[in-house]
Amino acid sequence: MSFGRFVLKRSLQGIGVVWGVVTVVFALRFVTPGSPINAVAPLDASQETRQAIAAELGLDQPLYVQYGQYIFDLLRGDMGFSYIKGQDVTTLVFGRLPATVELAVAASVVAIALAIPLGVISATRRNEPVDYGATLLSLGGISTPNFWLGIMLILVFAVEFNIFNTSGRGVNVGDVALSFVGPEPVFGTLLTWLAYITLPAIALGTYFMALITRLTRSGMLDELSKGYVQAARAKGLPQTLIRYKHALRNTLIPVITVLGLQLGTLIGGAVITEAVFSWPGLGSLVIDSINDRDWPTLQGSLIVIGTSFVFVNILVDVVYAYLDPEVVND
Amino acid sequence: MVSSRVIRNLKKEFRQSGLAKLGLALVVVIVLTAVFAPFIAPHNPTDQQLDQSELPPIGFSETTERTSSQMVDGEIQTVTEEVEITADPDHVFGTDGLGRDMFSRVVYGARTSLAVGVLGTLLAASIGVPVGLLAGYHRGRVDDALMRIADISLAFPSLVLAVALIGLWGRAAVDIPDPFVAAGLAPEMPESFVLPITVVIVVGLVNWVWFARVARGEALSLRGQEYVKASRALGADDNTIILRHVLPNAVTPIIVLGTVQVAAIILLESSLSFLGFSGTTLSWGFDIAQGRDYVSSGQWWIASIPGLAIMLSVIGINLLGDWLRDALDPGIEGEGGAA
Repeated sequence: MSFGRFVLKRSLQGIGVVWGVVTVVFALRFVTPGSPINAVAPLDASQETRQAIAAELGLDQPLYVQYGQYIFDLLRGDMGFSYIKGQDVTTLVFGRLPATVELAVAASVVAIALAIPLGVISATRRNEPVDYGATLLSLGGISTPNFWLGIMLILVFAVEFNIFNTSGRGVNVGDVALSFVGPEPVFGTLLTWLAYITLPAIALGTYFMALITRLTRSGMLDELSKGYVQAARAKGLPQTLIRYKHALRNTLIPVITVLGLQLGTLIGGAVITEAVFSWPGLGSLVIDSINDRDWPTLQGSLIVIGTSFVFVNILVDVVYAYLDPEVVND
Repeated sequence: MVSSRVIRNLKKEFRQSGLAKLGLALVVVIVLTAVFAPFIAPHNPTDQQLDQSELPPIGFSETTERTSSQMVDGEIQTVTEEVEITADPDHVFGTDGLGRDMFSRVVYGARTSLAVGVLGTLLAASIGVPVGLLAGYHRGRVDDALMRIADISLAFPSLVLAVALIGLWGRAAVDIPDPFVAAGLAPEMPESFVLPITVVIVVGLVNWVWFARVARGEALSLRGQEYVKASRALGADDNTIILRHVLPNAVTPIIVLGTVQVAAIILLESSLSFLGFSGTTLSWGFDIAQGRDYVSSGQWWIASIPGLAIMLSVIGINLLGDWLRDALDPGIEGEGGAA
C-alpha cells in the first residue's frame, strides 16, 4: 500500500467513526426521560414555544427523517439552537473551543518539555538517586486527581504567595502574539497571559508529564539494551549521539501513539480543570449544559469533542506511518 | 491458571521490590479501613457540630477574625478581634465547615472509593472480557463491529461521557445496611452505606472497552496455538474452547489491567463527586469540592486531606499493578487504561 492510499484509508475509517459518534449523540435525545421536547425546551417554556420546537426538531416526522435531517443540518454546520442560552449551538461551541485548545496545548507543552528529558535521564542513570526521584514523581503524577492538584496550586501560589490568577482566562494567546507586532514589544500582555494560564496548565499537564516520563523511561531502557545500540557503542560513537539521535527517536514513536489515544483523557481532564479555574472553555460549557439541561449544547459539544479526537488520531497515525513506513504495510 | 511458577515469580518480585511492599501495605490499610470503618472512625462522619466547625488538624492552629457587638462607654460598638483557634485532640484531622470530623469522613470515604472502584471494574470486565474473547476468537464481522464500537467509545473522554450519562439518568443511590451497626457493635455510626449505583454503572459502561481490547488481543494470539487447534480437531465446540483454553491463558493481563482500572475508576469517581455528579455526600471528591470554598479563607485542611487520601490509595493500587505486571508477565505494555 502506498502512503497516499494509507492516508485515504485511514481518513475513510475516521469518517466512519465520526458518523458513529454523531449517531450516538443523536440517540442521546431518546435516552432522556420524557419527551425530547422537555430535553430542549426551557422548563418554563410556553405551549407555543414547545410546539415551535417540536416542529423545528421535526418530531412529528418519522425517525429516519429526523435522523437524516440531523445529519444534513450538521453537514451545513448547524448544530441546533440553545433555547437556554439563546444562541446558536455552533457559535457557542466554536466560541469556547479556542480556550480549551489553548489550555490543552499549553499543558501538553509543559508536560512534554519536562517529561522527555526526565525519562531519558531516568533511564540512562538507572537506579541512581535521580532515577528514584523521577520514578516517585511520575508515580505521584499519575495518581493525583488533577482537580485537587489545581486547588492545591491555588492554595500555595495564589492564596499564600499571591503570584498567579486563579479564575478566568485574562487574555488569549492571539492578543499576546499581536502585542509583539509593532515598534515596541509589550511584555505586559505576555505576563498577564502567563498569570492566568500557568496554574491550570500545570494542573492539567502533570498527569501527562508523569505518563510520558514513565513511557520514555521504559522505552529508552528497552532501546538501550538492543543490538544496534551496542553496535554503535562498539563503533565508538559518542554516548550523547547514541542516546538522543538513535535510542530516543525509536522510543518516541510508540510514545506518540499513546499520546494520541490519551487525548480523550486530556480533554476529560480539561473539563474538570476548567471547572476549578473557571476557564471559559468547552469543558465548562459541557458541565453548564448538563446542569442547565441544555441538551442541544451538550450534543454539539460532544460532537466537536469526539470529532477532534478522531481527527487528531488520524493525524497521529499518518505521522507515525511517515516516520515508520512499515506501519503502512500492516 | 495460578501455577506454582506464578506464585514463585510474585514472591521473588515482592522480595526484590520495595515499591511492591509499599503498594501492598497501602492497599491492605485502605481495604481494612473501608471494611472496618465503623470501628476506626471516632465520630459519625455525618454528625454536624456547628460549635466545633473549622477546627484545624492536630499540630496546627488558625487565627481568624471574629466580630462581636460590645458595650463600650454606654454605646454599642462592633469589635473585631483576632481569635486563635487551636486543634482539638478529639479531631485528629480537624473538622469541616459544618463541624464534621474530617478523620471520620476520610475513613468512610474509603468505602465509597473502593466500592465504586471494585464494582465498576468488575462490571467493566464482565462486559468487556466476554465481548473481547468472542470477537478475537471468531474474528470476522463480530470483531469488525467490536472494533468500530471501541473506536466510537474511545472518541468520548471517560469523564465527559460519564458526566453526560449521569446528567441524563440522574444520581441514583442504594442504601446498604451496615452489618456492624445492625449487629449493635457501633451504634453511633451511620446505619447504612450509600452506594452511588448510577456512578458504578456508568463507570463500568465507560471503561468496558479497555477490557474488550485486551481480551480480544489475547484471544487473537491464542486461537492459533497448537493446543487450541488440537482441541478443535478433537471436536470441542467453540464455547468450551474459549472457556477452558483461551480464558485461563488470558487471565494474567486481564488481572493486571483490572488493577490499573480500579485506580483509574477511583480517580474518575472522585472527579464525578467533585463536580457534583454522584449519589452520595460521603466521598473524598465531594469533600474536596466542599473544602474548595474554604481555601481562600485559610482553612486549607478541608480540601487537602481528602486529596491526600485519594493520592495514597491510587499510588498503592498502581504500585500493586506494577508488581503484578512485572511478576506475572514482563511482556505486557506498561500503560493501558486511562482515567
